[in-house]
Formats: sequence, structure tokens, C-alpha cells
Amino acid sequence: MLSRVAESLYWMGRYIERAENVARLLDIGLFIELDADLGGGERFSPVEIALTILACRDAFPLDVEAPSRDAVLRFLTFDRSNTQSILSMIARARENARGTQEAIGVDVWSEVNRLYLFLGGTRAQRKFVRGPSSLLNTIKNSCLLIDGMIQNTLPRDEVYHFLELGRHLERLDVLCRILRAKCPILTQQVEGTEAAMQLVRWTSLLRSCSAHGPFLRSERERVEPEGVIRFLVLDPEFPRSIRYSAARCQESLESISGGDDDAYGCEAERILGRLESDLRYLDVEEIFDRGLLRFLDSLQHTCHRVSDEIQRSFFLM
Amino acid sequence: MQATHSDESAALFSGYKLASYDELFGPDRTPRPHYAPLYDRLIKLGPDEIERRHKVADLTMRNQGITFTVYGRDQGVERIIPFDPIPRLVSAAEWDGIERGLKQRVRALNLFIRDVYHNRSILKDRVVPAELIFGASGYRRDCLGLRVPKDIYIHVSGIDLIRDAAGEYLVLEDNCRTPSGVSYVLKNRQVMKQIFPFLFTEYNVRPVDDYTDKLLSVLRYIAPDGCDDPTVVVLTPGMYNSAYYEHSFLARQMGLDLVEGRDLVYDRGQIFRRTTRGLQRVDVIYRRLDDDFLDPLAFRPDSILGVAGLMGAYRAGNVGMANSLGTGVADDKGIYPFVPDIIKYYLGEEPIMNNVETYRPLVPSHRQHILENLEKLVVKAVDASGGYGMLIGPASTKAQREEFRRKIEDNPRGYIAQPTIQLSRHPTFIDGRLDGRHVDLRPFVLYGEDVFVLPGGLTRVALPEGSLVVNSSQGGGTKDTWVLHGSGADGRRAPGRPTPEERS
Repeated sequence: MLSRVAESLYWMGRYIERAENVARLLDIGLFIELDADLGGGERFSPVEIALTILACRDAFPLDVEAPSRDAVLRFLTFDRSNTQSILSMIARARENARGTQEAIGVDVWSEVNRLYLFLGGTRAQRKFVRGPSSLLNTIKNSCLLIDGMIQNTLPRDEVYHFLELGRHLERLDVLCRILRAKCPILTQQVEGTEAAMQLVRWTSLLRSCSAHGPFLRSERERVEPEGVIRFLVLDPEFPRSIRYSAARCQESLESISGGDDDAYGCEAERILGRLESDLRYLDVEEIFDRGLLRFLDSLQHTCHRVSDEIQRSFFLM
Repeated sequence: MQATHSDESAALFSGYKLASYDELFGPDRTPRPHYAPLYDRLIKLGPDEIERRHKVADLTMRNQGITFTVYGRDQGVERIIPFDPIPRLVSAAEWDGIERGLKQRVRALNLFIRDVYHNRSILKDRVVPAELIFGASGYRRDCLGLRVPKDIYIHVSGIDLIRDAAGEYLVLEDNCRTPSGVSYVLKNRQVMKQIFPFLFTEYNVRPVDDYTDKLLSVLRYIAPDGCDDPTVVVLTPGMYNSAYYEHSFLARQMGLDLVEGRDLVYDRGQIFRRTTRGLQRVDVIYRRLDDDFLDPLAFRPDSILGVAGLMGAYRAGNVGMANSLGTGVADDKGIYPFVPDIIKYYLGEEPIMNNVETYRPLVPSHRQHILENLEKLVVKAVDASGGYGMLIGPASTKAQREEFRRKIEDNPRGYIAQPTIQLSRHPTFIDGRLDGRHVDLRPFVLYGEDVFVLPGGLTRVALPEGSLVVNSSQGGGTKDTWVLHGSGADGRRAPGRPTPEERS
């Protein structure tokens, strides 16, 4: 397929995945805030932490003295000047989809276009005013609908695999970012009333990855740091774990480059293959021994290298 | 409360004025026979129901991104073309004349283009003035002596027709380069089937869906010799072009790659596309890019839209191209007045369809007539399109007329003038009722192994009251055009057919 089209598909996959994740993150953040008394110094932190995760804290207008929760939510949802806002990401996904209509088909394109028109219009604004949560859920569901259409209407050819590659690499990356941002608070040793708060935070971490229910079912145990990290990083079956995402990326890359079983088609495939086998034999104690933050940093570094290599192998022809 | 039949009728057609030739009503204000079932049905539906269905149509188009880009302010805004839900009906007999007329015209124009770039017998015989041809902006010296596959130049054309006060179809303009609009013909039909399914069970409407099949056959037909399974691509200037939706739609319908100039590369006489698996050869290009932008080495060096070297591959016969290069010489407005002569010259036949009467400032008596009657005439620059560079006499100011007077005197070759024709009018849904609006018709003609005329075409509507300008870039809308089958004088289906979706 055309390199330009492949590149558009890859980025469309990434933007939609990220928009969905941001919507979920904000929704869960809001939910936790409304639920718990967080005490001083953390007035709107579960929502605000999204600024850190998306690395757009600096872009937030500083002239606002004490940014309200509402201002942060708007900035992350609607602000066109913020490249990390949901609207900006859907706008870019839509540009990519518009340029690849002949590849993705009219169903997928219409749904992306519809979501974009909705977010830029007054109906979304009204919905936000009535309650951000329902708007965030609409966005999330629309992203999932797009994915559902991709899964159920596209043949498993290059078009599909470039979309999937983008989606899962982004999922891997976002998960790293979420863990990276939340872990410093999560791993603090705390006592007394704060201890109850820690449980809420670990639960919210699971929720922001759609992992709470699956975690409870699979681990059959209380929410404890080691179990949570094992589940989110190493679980082979959960579709939002790092190991699962890495394996899907590798599968898509194999299909695209059509390499043999015992050879790799490109550098990205080699790096991913190594990551995948590393995760396969890794033990959660080892992660904590290495240092969770150091582990996450190196994971994110790997992610960036894979992205650069994909760029080099397929799009710059 | 149940409104009575005549109340509804009064609401829907209240204040409907007959002017020009009305497509639906005869001069005695009764519906023409083939329109009668539609007329009854519209009255039964009533304004609210039509409005509701109209909104569904608009929403569908918006969600599917069926848009065009308006240039100018804000560097291009995406808009949907206003869609009018009242279909235009063309009877089988009317269409028969149109179809034969168009086939004849396109065959003659094709022979004309070949002649211009080869023997030039029409010049030697002084049927068309040489200066008009060499002065035409669409004339390409690079095409001299160039053989194109199967000697076909205009694979796709869109011929603009209008209907005068007497109801006669006249050719207003030939579009032989990269005419747009066929995607709206196909999309309008899909939307109409969605919003008025029961009308289709009542009428025998000829399908348009096979257009892209036929287009693909034409494109494959012009592949270089010895190429059995050609790779065909659609070449677009890119996403910001006003007709991008159409390019993308056609590529999708034909299952082809939609490429931009940067996706193609010339190497040793061949054109390749850049893919994730390296370079792959391209055999046929359906280009939706003007000649000037195709190849920066041959034409405009500042163009980044084309492919450097494309002309070389084309000249070497290694790539087929639709439409061929240089077809603009045939749709030049300066050539237009000569098309009836061109038809007689090459085919030895009388033209089946007439031109609009046209004055040429180059002819002294014409020039005098034009300058004396500017406020009654439409003046057009021969190399402009899209409703730009025009003077519409009756709607013009004195200053505008003075400006055109100077332009015509300075450059008599650059202009033509025509009487203002009151285009026929068609009921159009405006503010909850029907009102007559001027329409034209652009049928599409494909030229491959045979000449094929798509039964239908784009009916464009001038939406502002009294306006005669139908171009989408000037605020015009479109409506679906139904060519009816011959069975039965009024185009109705044989009785007894069930209409299950009637109330859907």
C-alpha cells in the first residue's frame, strides 16, 4: 500500500486510541474526586494529573490563578490550541481518515467525521455543561464504535494492520505514561487515614485502564500494588496490559513486513520481539527490584525507538 | 386535524409562479404527464414530511463528509452542497435525443483534438481559425504528433445543457478536461433512495450505479500495449482541492489507490508509486489535476502537485492517462461557437443538439452588436470556469459594463457573448414550500470501447430567487436527475407492483 496512506492509518490509530484513553482518564479522575475527600494540597489532582500524563502542563494558560477543575477539563477536552486535547486529537484523526477514505471505507470514515463534527459543535458543549462525565462517555463509546467497525468491516490486510499497529503502540505508550505519572504517589508508604486513600488510588489506576473488573476476577485477591502492576504490565490475556499490547504490535508488524518466523523484517520488529520475550519471562518482584520508575522509563524509551523505526522502515520510502 | 388535499396543495405550491419553461408544469399549470405521479405524491406527503426527509438527507451528507471546499476567505472552508430533495424527471423520449446528441458531439470533439495535434486538416480547410486554436489556453504544443492509446482523448466529459423558453435542450458548455460532479450524481441517488424509497417503486428510474464500473473499464482499456492487468490509480491534487471528496469517492468505488503527486516517482521512463514494500509500477493514471500542474519539468516549474518526468513516461507510451493531455483546446469557449461546424466537418451529420447563439468579438459585426447590447448579454472569458470572469448583463452595473467593454476591445479573442437565456425552472423546496428555480443539467459521457452516456447527470439549481448562476462555488445546489424507462407514456411502473416501504 502507499506509504503515505500507511502513515495516515498508523497515526489515525494512535490518535483515536489516545483520545479514548484521555476521555477515560478524565472521567475516572472526576469520579474519584467527587467520591473522596482528598484533603488539602490535592484539590483537583486526579483530573490535573492528566496534564502530567499528556505532558501539556506547560501549555496550560498560567494567567489563571487557581485553575478550576472545569478549566482543566475544558482545556483537555475542547481546547484547539492544546495539541493534546481530545478535540485536537480527533481533528487529526479525522484529517488522516479523510485522506484514506478509499482504504478504511465509508463506515469508519463517517463515524470519525461524525465524532469530530459533534465535538466541535454546540451539542457537545451543552452536554459538557450538563455533566462532563456523560460527554466523556459519549466520546469513549464513539472511539470504541470506530474500533468495532475496524474489527468487523476490514479485511486483515495492511490497512487493518497499520491501524492496529498504531492503536496498540499508543496503548502501550499511554499505559507507560499513566503508570509513570501515578506511581510516585502510589508507592509512597503511608499510614492512618491516608492508607484508605491509597486503596482508592490503586483502584482508580485500574479503572483508568478499564481493568478493575478484570483484575478482580483474574487475581481473586485484594487490590495490592504487586498484583496491580503484575496485571497491568505482565498479564498475557488482558487487552490493555503492556505485554498484550506489545504482542499485538509485533503480530501486526509481522503481517505487514511478511517476514519468516525465524527472521525479522525490520528493526522495529526486532526491538518489539525482544521486549515481548523480556515481558514473557519477567517476574513482578524483579520489576520492583529494578525499580518501578526505572523500568517504566526504559519501557517508554523502547516505545519511542519502535515508533522511530516504523517511521524509517515504512513511511520514508 | 386531517388537512384536505387542496389545503396541502395550497401550502406546498402557494405562490408558485410559472416563468421560463417549467419542468413540472405545462403552460396551463397542469403537471406534465411524466410528472403527474410525483406531483400527487408530493402533495400527499405535505411540507412537514418533506422537510423532515430533507433534514435526514442533509445529515447523511454532513456525516459522510460529502463536501466541497470553497476558496477565498479563511483559505478554504468545507461545505456540503445544498441538496434539493425534489427530483428532476427526464422522459425516455427526451433522453433519447440528449443521448444521441451527446454521443455525436463527443465523437466529433475527439476527432477534432486528434486532428489539431496531427494532420490539422480542419485548419487547412479553414473551418476553424488557426489563431483561435493556437491561442487557446488549453492548447498544448507538447502534444503535437503524440499518439495516445486507441486515439481517445476525452475519456470523461461533462457537457452542460440548458433548456430555453421553448423547452429545447441546448449545449451551454463542453467540459473536456476534468469535469466534476459525478460523485454527487451517485451520492444524491443513494440519499434519495434512503429518504423516498416509495418513489422508486412507483417510477422506472434508470440506475446510475454502474458508472464507476464503466469508468474503470475505460481506464483499463487505455493501458499501454501488452499490459494485461494494469495498475490504475486516481491522481488528486490533495485534500484541500475543492473536488477532493469526488476523487476519494471514485477511487473507493473503483477499488483504486488515490495518489498525490508525492506518492509517484519517475524512473527510467516509467512511473512508480511509493509503497510500504518499495516502488511499484503504475500503468494508467486517472488524473484530476490540470495539465499545467502535471509535470513541473514540462509545465509550471513551481507546481508541487505533479510528478517530475510524467510527460516523459506519457510520451514514451509507458503510461495511459485520462483525460489525455491537451483536451482543453476542445472546451475553450472560443472554439465552442464552431462545434456545430466541427460535427459537420468530421461526421458529415447535422448536429442533433444546438448551441446557444453566440457572438464573437473577433467578427466586426458581432463586436458591434455586443458593445451595443452589453446590458442584455452574458459575456464570458474564454478560459475561465466556475462562474468566474463573467458579466451577466441584466444584473450588471454601469461600471462593470464599462470594465468589460474595455476588456473586449483590448482582447477580442478572449471573450464571447450570448443572449441571457431564461434557463428552465424546476420546483425546489425552499422555506417549507415549493418554488421555481432555474436549473441546468450536466450529463457525463465516457469514451472507451464505446461512447456511454450516464442516464442522468447533475442537475444544478440556482437557489437565490431569479438567479441564473448554478455553480456550486457560487452558491448553487443540486438535485437528483431521474431518467425514466420507456415503458408507459408517463414513466410509471406497471401497475400491481407492491410498495411496501411506502410509509417508511
